[in-house]
Order: sequence, then C-alpha cells, then structure tokens
Amino acid sequence: MTSELTLLILRIGFLLLLWFFVFGIVYALRSDLFGQRVRKMPADAASAPGRQAPSSPFPPPAASSGGIVMQHPPLSNMPGAAADGPSHPLATTSTAAHLVITSGQKQGTSIDLGREPITIGRSAESGLVIRDDYTSTHHARLMLWNDTWMLQDLDSTNGTFLDGKRVTSPAKIPLDTPIKIGTTTFELRR
Amino acid sequence: MPPAVENARAAKGAAAGQAAPQAAGRIRLPAKLRNLELLLLLVACLINASAILLVQLGALKRVDFSLLYFGVALSVLVIGLHITMRIVAPNADPFILPIATVLNGLGIAEIYRIDLELHKSGWDSASVKQIAWTAIAIAIAIAVILIVRNHRFLQRYTYLFGLGAVILLLLPMIPGLGVTVYGARIWIALGPFSFQPGEIAKLALAVFFAGYLVQHRDSLSMVGRKVLGMRFPRWRDLGPILVLWAISMAVIVFQRDLGTGLLYFGLFLVMIYVATSRLSWVLLGLTLFVGGALIASQVLAYVGDRFQNWLDPFSQQVYNARGGSFQLVQGLFGIAYGGIIGTGLGEGRPATTPVAQSDYIVASLGEELGLAGLFAIFALYLLFVSRGLRIGFAGQDDFGKLLAVGLAFTLALQCFIVVGGITRVIPLTGLTTPFLAAGGSSLVANWIIVALLLRLSDTVRSQPRMVI
Repeated sequence: MTSELTLLILRIGFLLLLWFFVFGIVYALRSDLFGQRVRKMPADAASAPGRQAPSSPFPPPAASSGGIVMQHPPLSNMPGAAADGPSHPLATTSTAAHLVITSGQKQGTSIDLGREPITIGRSAESGLVIRDDYTSTHHARLMLWNDTWMLQDLDSTNGTFLDGKRVTSPAKIPLDTPIKIGTTTFELRR
Repeated sequence: MPPAVENARAAKGAAAGQAAPQAAGRIRLPAKLRNLELLLLLVACLINASAILLVQLGALKRVDFSLLYFGVALSVLVIGLHITMRIVAPNADPFILPIATVLNGLGIAEIYRIDLELHKSGWDSASVKQIAWTAIAIAIAIAVILIVRNHRFLQRYTYLFGLGAVILLLLPMIPGLGVTVYGARIWIALGPFSFQPGEIAKLALAVFFAGYLVQHRDSLSMVGRKVLGMRFPRWRDLGPILVLWAISMAVIVFQRDLGTGLLYFGLFLVMIYVATSRLSWVLLGLTLFVGGALIASQVLAYVGDRFQNWLDPFSQQVYNARGGSFQLVQGLFGIAYGGIIGTGLGEGRPATTPVAQSDYIVASLGEELGLAGLFAIFALYLLFVSRGLRIGFAGQDDFGKLLAVGLAFTLALQCFIVVGGITRVIPLTGLTTPFLAAGGSSLVANWIIVALLLRLSDTVRSQPRMVI
C-alpha cells in the first residue's frame, strides 16, 4: 500500500516536473512574448512626453502617433517626396553606402550598408535595435528590390515615417531623406 | 551560383565594417544564452532519467541501472552538441535543444515500457535500437552544425537538393531494395537496418522549395489574371505546383503512404504562401488536394477503408474487418483509460494497441501520462515550432526565412497529421511522431532539423548591428 502511495506521489511529481520545464521555457521566453523591456532614455526621463526637443527638427512622436500625416517638418519643405518628382536620387546599392543617425540618442553615428537587409525594432535580433517607448518589437525593415533600398513597415504601432509621410506599403528610399522611427531619425547617404 | 557567392562576400565585408559597433553594443551576451541552455538541458536530462526510473518502478517494481548507463551516454552526447555550439554557434537559440532532448527521452522511456510489456530485451527490443539511433542522430546533428557554417551554402545547390529528394522518394520502388511493411512501400532494407528515405527527402524538399521560391516568387505573385478580386497565376507559373501535386499523389498511389503525400503538399503550399502572400495559391492547392483525396477515397480501396474507419470506427463490422478500426479504437480506449493524470508510467497496458511504440506512441503516452502529460508534450511541440517560426520571422535573408518556416511547419503539420489521426480528427495516416516514435530515419531527419534551425538562429543573431 505504501509503495502504491509512493508511486502515486512520484508520478504526480513527474507531471509537475514536466510542466515546470514547460513553464521554465515560457518564462525564459517572456521577452519574446511581451516584447523587449523598454530602456529609459536619459532625455526621456528628464522631460514630459509632450516636450519639443530643442535639437530635433521634428515634433515628438507622441503627437504624431495618432495622426497618419505628420505636420511637415522643416526638412521636407521642398516639394516632391519619395513618390512624385524625386529631387533626391534613389538609394541603391551603388549610391548609398551608409545609414546615418541624424537625431536621437546616437545622433551622428553611422552603419555601413552592405547587401543585406536590415531589420529595425526593439527585439535583440534586429539589425538596428532601438529600445525606446515608441518602437515596436519588429518595427520596420530596409530591404533590397533589384538593388534599390526599400523601406517596409512591419505593422508597427506608432508607424514609420519616410520624409514625414507614414509608410503603409514598401516604399523606395531616396538618398538624404529622413526616415523616422520613434524618437530616432536616420538617412541613407553616400 | 554567382549571386549567392557575391552575397556571402558582401556579408563578410559588412561584418568586418561593423566590428566596432557590434562590440560596443551587444544586448545579450552569447554566454548567457548558452548558460540558459545548459540549465535547461540539465533539467531535461533529469526528466529523462526520472521517466526511465518511473517506468522500472511501475512495471518491474525495482530499479535496474543497465538502461540508465545508456541514458548517461546520450546525455553526454547532448552535452557534446551543447559544447560544439558554444564554439561554432554561440548565438543560437537556447530552447530548441532542450525541448528536442526531453521529447526524445520521453519517447525512449515509453518505448522501453512497451518492450517490458512485450518481454523483449537486448537488440530485439525497440528501445535499445532507438537509443542507438538517437546516438547516431545526435552525432549527425553535430556534424551538420560543424559542416554547414552558413545556411546560404545550401542555396547554391537548390536543384541538386530537388533531384536528391526525388531520387530518395523513388528508392523504395527499386525491386530488391524496397520493402513493403503494413502495405506501405516506403522502407528500404540495408542488411539488418531498415530506413525510410522519405524522411530525409522531406528536408531536401524544404531546401529545394526555399531556393526555388526565392528565385521565382516575383513571377508567381505579380503576374496573372484577376478573378473575383484574387490574382490567379499563369499556366506556366502553375507548373511547379502541378508537378508537386502529381508527385504527392503518386506517392499516395504507388507507395500507399497517405501521410507523406499530405505532408509534402502541405509543406509546398505553406512555403509558397509565405513567399508570395497570395491566398489564391492556398485555395488552389487545397482544392486540388481535397479533389485528389475525394477521388482517391472512391478509387483506391485502402484509402476508402481509412475513411470508413474514421467515420464509423465503433461499428462491429468495421472494428473486426481486416485493416479495420481495431487499432484506432484501441488507441482511443487507451487514452480514455489514462484520464486526466494517466495510469502512471509502467502501469498501463499500452501494448494492447498494435504498433504502440511507433505510430501509436502518442496514444501510449496518453494512457500512461494522461491528459496532463499529453498536453505538456504538445506544449513542447508548440514551443519548438514557435521558435522555428520566430527564427524565420527575425531572419534577414529570404532563403533563411523560408527555410526556417518550412522546417518548423513540417514538424507542426506532422504532429497534426499524427495526433489528428489518433484522436479521430482526420482519417488515420501512417506518419511518425517527431522525436517520440520508434524509427531511426525519423530521428535522424528531426535532429537534422534541430541542427539547421540552430544554425539559422545563430546567423540571425550574429548579424552586424547597432543598439540605440
């Protein structure tokens, strides 16, 4: 009788161990399920979300997250965005060599462009990891279509803006044109 | 293939240029990933050892350490794979290996339990063979990780893999080499070993589809007539899907293997859907498959029998018929006898069901571990597949994305076909349960999937990157 009781306890213990293993994995996966933890930016912490950043020519994204079309930033005053009359030549593998951060935390730094697509988002697997409040886990990606750099939004919550316009379908990227994700802006340059 | 080589070179150049930012801003250290994996692996080995001990306590009422020595040997091999990854794939996904280890170990324990019930031991028993095959499979996985340093290497040989898949599929049809077991001609016999080449063909096909679709998806998705708001492909683009349909139907007709045919076709449909994001392909494929299956159920006697068994298993006539629903019903009774927490390992009678250790391993585990245990196993499959899909989603290059999705989906579809068949959701077809079922070729194929997913995930995380 005792041995049967012991066996019963052992086999329930085994099932618990099995589920412990399953939940252990799920717990370790939590950053993938609920998104990477947001890192507090020093600049964010210092001021309220509605603040106008003195260095940035763009309004903060909190204001733009609801609206589809942002107020036009000074930079894109010139007529002709990506689609109509390209005042800037398109970024291709031969013309664009760098991705330069023009505003945000790492302003001034650049990444060399190869022939590989670059994913942008909060997840650790992204090629360009942006860990602020406004970036989605998998936010957007830069990819090559016939040697031309394209910008694709991956259903991000707060949107990806190419020259002030929200990107809904993959768009060709002109050179020296600001792409805005959260509080970070970057351009493709020679 | 020149573009692939060029790509690889460009990638190297980019990696060299990115050395500085990468070193500066790494979010998770690789050692952390591997340490997590080691921890999970130790728990996995603990689960496997206690499963075997419980089987012995339940069935023999004593502890016999002989099988545990084999278990220790396997654990050493798995740790060997882990150490290999520390060296050549430090950024690989930390969850895939522990999950595969637990599933494989649970399978060995249950097969051992059925051997005890059937009074088999030594090389006659399926469990010892399974342990030997597991060792071979893990060794092959280590070799794959060591040899395939970059998955784009596989893209260069797209058509070679396609040809290889067809040859592997045809091998069992060669007289003298092929063997017919339970009416299905899908095994080849080499001396004392029997092997199911279709399992390896599955992998070769996944590589072929990924390579083919990366090249041709534009013509598959952009061109064609619009009917009812959906774009349907041109006839010449329709070629590959029709050829594939013909091949999978030929497998069903000539090799009498419903499950494999379903698996190949499902794999192709999902990969083409992921590559082109056109629903019309899926509708077209499903129509073709349902049409083919309906015709087959009317024309081919054994397919008709399967439908009969599925729809009306409890009628006395179908139950007693040759090739009738006896096995299906025994499996259902076994699962029902198990209830919520099962009879306990070693305390049920799973061997009452024919081929309880291979096709019906899920019913055997359902009897002895109950609903709670079975759902834990399904949760592990779910996690494994979700990791694979995630690797595909986070992947940077299209070939790697498609390959990861294809491999993960094969495993998911295989689980669905097997478990669905046993639980009477769909007609029963003979396929192996990944990692659990007795069978060497299936183990080797699934451990190669593990190795490829690990390699892909390492590439994903090792991309040049910057952190803001």
